[in-house]
Amino acid sequence: MKLSLLLTCAFICLLLAPASRAAEEPADAQALRNEIDALRQQLEAQKRDYDARLQLLRQALDKLAAQQPVRHQLPEEAPAEPDLEALLQQLQQPPEEHRPGIDWGRAFQSFNPDISVIIDTFYHHDDSEEGISHVLGGIDGFGHSHGHEGHHHAETENGFNLRHLELYLGAEVDPYFKAWAIPAISEEGAELEEAVIQTTGLPYGLQVKAGKFFSEFCRVNAQHSHEWDFVDAPLINQLVFGDHGLNDKGVQLSWLAPTDVPLTLALEAFQGDNETMFSHVGGDELPDRSGPRVLVQWLKLAPEIGGNHGIQFGGFHGSGVHQEAHDGDGDGVEDHWLDGTSLFWGGDVVYKYDSPAAHEQGDVVLQGEYLSRRRDLNVENHALAPAVIGNNRVDQQDGIYLQGTYGFLPRWRAGARWDLAGITNKQKLPDGTAESFDDSNRYTGMIDWTLTEFSRLRFQVSQGRYAAEGEKDKVTQFFLQLMVSLGSHGAHKF
Amino acid sequence: MKFVSFPLLMLAFAAGAVAEEELNIVATTSDLASIAQSVAGSHAVVRNVCKGDRDPHFLQAKPGYIMMARDADLWIRVGMELEIGWEPAILDGARNSAIRENGPGHLDASQSVLRLEVPAQRVTRAMGDVHAQGNPHYWLDPLNGRIVAKAIAGRLEQIDPFNAASYRANLAQFQKALDERMFGTELVSQIGGDKLWAIELKGSLGEFLEKGNLAGKLGGWAAAVKPLRAQKIVTYHKSWVYFANRFGLAIDCELEPKPGIPPSPSHLARVIERINGGGIRVILLEPFYSRKAADFVAGKTSATTVVCPNSVGGNDSATDYLSLIDTIVDRVSKAFTER
Repeated sequence: MKLSLLLTCAFICLLLAPASRAAEEPADAQALRNEIDALRQQLEAQKRDYDARLQLLRQALDKLAAQQPVRHQLPEEAPAEPDLEALLQQLQQPPEEHRPGIDWGRAFQSFNPDISVIIDTFYHHDDSEEGISHVLGGIDGFGHSHGHEGHHHAETENGFNLRHLELYLGAEVDPYFKAWAIPAISEEGAELEEAVIQTTGLPYGLQVKAGKFFSEFCRVNAQHSHEWDFVDAPLINQLVFGDHGLNDKGVQLSWLAPTDVPLTLALEAFQGDNETMFSHVGGDELPDRSGPRVLVQWLKLAPEIGGNHGIQFGGFHGSGVHQEAHDGDGDGVEDHWLDGTSLFWGGDVVYKYDSPAAHEQGDVVLQGEYLSRRRDLNVENHALAPAVIGNNRVDQQDGIYLQGTYGFLPRWRAGARWDLAGITNKQKLPDGTAESFDDSNRYTGMIDWTLTEFSRLRFQVSQGRYAAEGEKDKVTQFFLQLMVSLGSHGAHKF
Repeated sequence: MKFVSFPLLMLAFAAGAVAEEELNIVATTSDLASIAQSVAGSHAVVRNVCKGDRDPHFLQAKPGYIMMARDADLWIRVGMELEIGWEPAILDGARNSAIRENGPGHLDASQSVLRLEVPAQRVTRAMGDVHAQGNPHYWLDPLNGRIVAKAIAGRLEQIDPFNAASYRANLAQFQKALDERMFGTELVSQIGGDKLWAIELKGSLGEFLEKGNLAGKLGGWAAAVKPLRAQKIVTYHKSWVYFANRFGLAIDCELEPKPGIPPSPSHLARVIERINGGGIRVILLEPFYSRKAADFVAGKTSATTVVCPNSVGGNDSATDYLSLIDTIVDRVSKAFTER
């Protein structure tokens, strides 16, 4: 206000002054006019200065006003003004009965491990004379090579079978480890399938796993039996590694390479305790070899092929100590002992099409593997034929399988599998002779119905021609399997 | 010389673009990715695992997804156990401790949203695929989209404080755009988005507009769906609850007898009865579900099957989060008016 008053006065003076002075002293008009001009300029400069300051003042005032909450300008509406943040906070609060401190169930749950149970049960029938387990145990080139003879397993019987009840307990241990244990309980008792401590925070794509676990060298071995697309494992895996696969105490170091293409490399060291490939007998007749006795290495490469398609190639190699003790004359006393090395190598591939349709409809999985093994054993002692002591026995076998599944309806899949074991199937005996055996094959068809993610019914038929003592045993098998999963079961890998 | 220097210059620019470190954001679904992209702007490359035309409940944890997670600075998930079948396999495989649950780069977007259908009693699987933490399809409520955007902006400010101002500005811009699509440009400029949402949350938007003589100024989705208020619809899965709740539609029943359980003939017979009895006209389902059951029911009633995407990328018109809601609003209101 004061400013504008001042300015008005100055303007009035300016307007009046030249007129009166010019009338009184015309002679000095020029000089006066000059003086007035100078004054006018001075005044104008002052006015500009004031204007500028006024502008600044106004800006400062505006700024102040902006900082005041809008609400203050509308006092009459203030009490009714709803505040979104406050409302949201109010709504995000859990209802009274769910507040922490009261709900013990939830509090406990957050510290307890995830628990799940898988019950795997099936009805089986085959038309062999002594049962399929006996047939598989006696296949030419693969059979009769157990570390200890008379080693008994849960045999697949005609009629009702309970494969096992798989219990899973797992949790994050702390920011550095996660751990899980999987005891498998069958009628024969409990067996530890896995007990694993795994790192979660190692840099450079490294991960270490320790305990007892399935070697992840190939798809089938890395999966638990309930994840398989068929009731049983491929023939070659079953014959080379036995019913339980390569599952042992040890350590795994794996590395996810910093490449654009997913590439994982791993080294696994195992104690060396597999009935058919890496058996350690020790005792008086055989050298005691300290562990780890088995070293496995594998790589998996999964180039991106776009969209809903996925593919993964794997290569693997494993080697270790193998010992055998046999009772050659069947008198119940071991009479010859072998010690040496055993190795396997091979590769596998899996292709998956993950269709956009719900419940696996249209999904395709194609999978195949080649596996070769060689055991080179030295006769350490032979009570019946001392002449062969120091000689070698060499076994060489291999096999392949191809399988595929297709989701022909929501929740329904059909699958087929072809197995061939013993493409190469030969044995060089310690007495210098060599033998060559026939191959065995099997065709399998499967239909399964996944009622929900927690229950699956599977129907499977297979027909195999198994080489046994120079002949081919034709065995037809029929399975009706029911699996259910209770509790929070973890996600399955690719 | 010019011909030589030009490609070299381009290369230099490309190298510069790479050197100016962009954040790597991976979202489990396309909707979260779209919102994250709006908030992150040019400071991040945003990718998503599950495509919009797929069922987010089920996915193969492809090695390619593990690569995405390995390189991620921020992992955003829908949460509430929606991705439980595949997310753990990806996070385990990625060997990236920052994005594991509770890590600085792991954002569960469900943490701050308004939830529906949180079970009050013990949940068993006999009830079907019921999630103990509530119905996870919350992104179909635009208010939840707005809340998620704010959560993402908050986390980005923590991870990348240098660009905090930019994230805040992007958030404000996204919220404004969303508010304008929801209530119409005129109403938002006059009343303000926050205030409109607050009134909407209190359930008194109609009353407020009436009182202020503003009813004619309501635009956007709210205006488009207004005539459908309290109309009954049938859905395939319980995935439209949030959309129906926000826009005042009444879901009468689902074709699935229980969440995740396929429609059975006896249940469909009951649905047909309900549709005929209630004069229901719309059966809403996502593109990845089989149309069979819906078409069967539609054939026996006066209802029509409306296949509608519920995620960004579910069809050609749902290119981002806002156009997804556009698409749904459009499909649903057309389904009612075209008959």
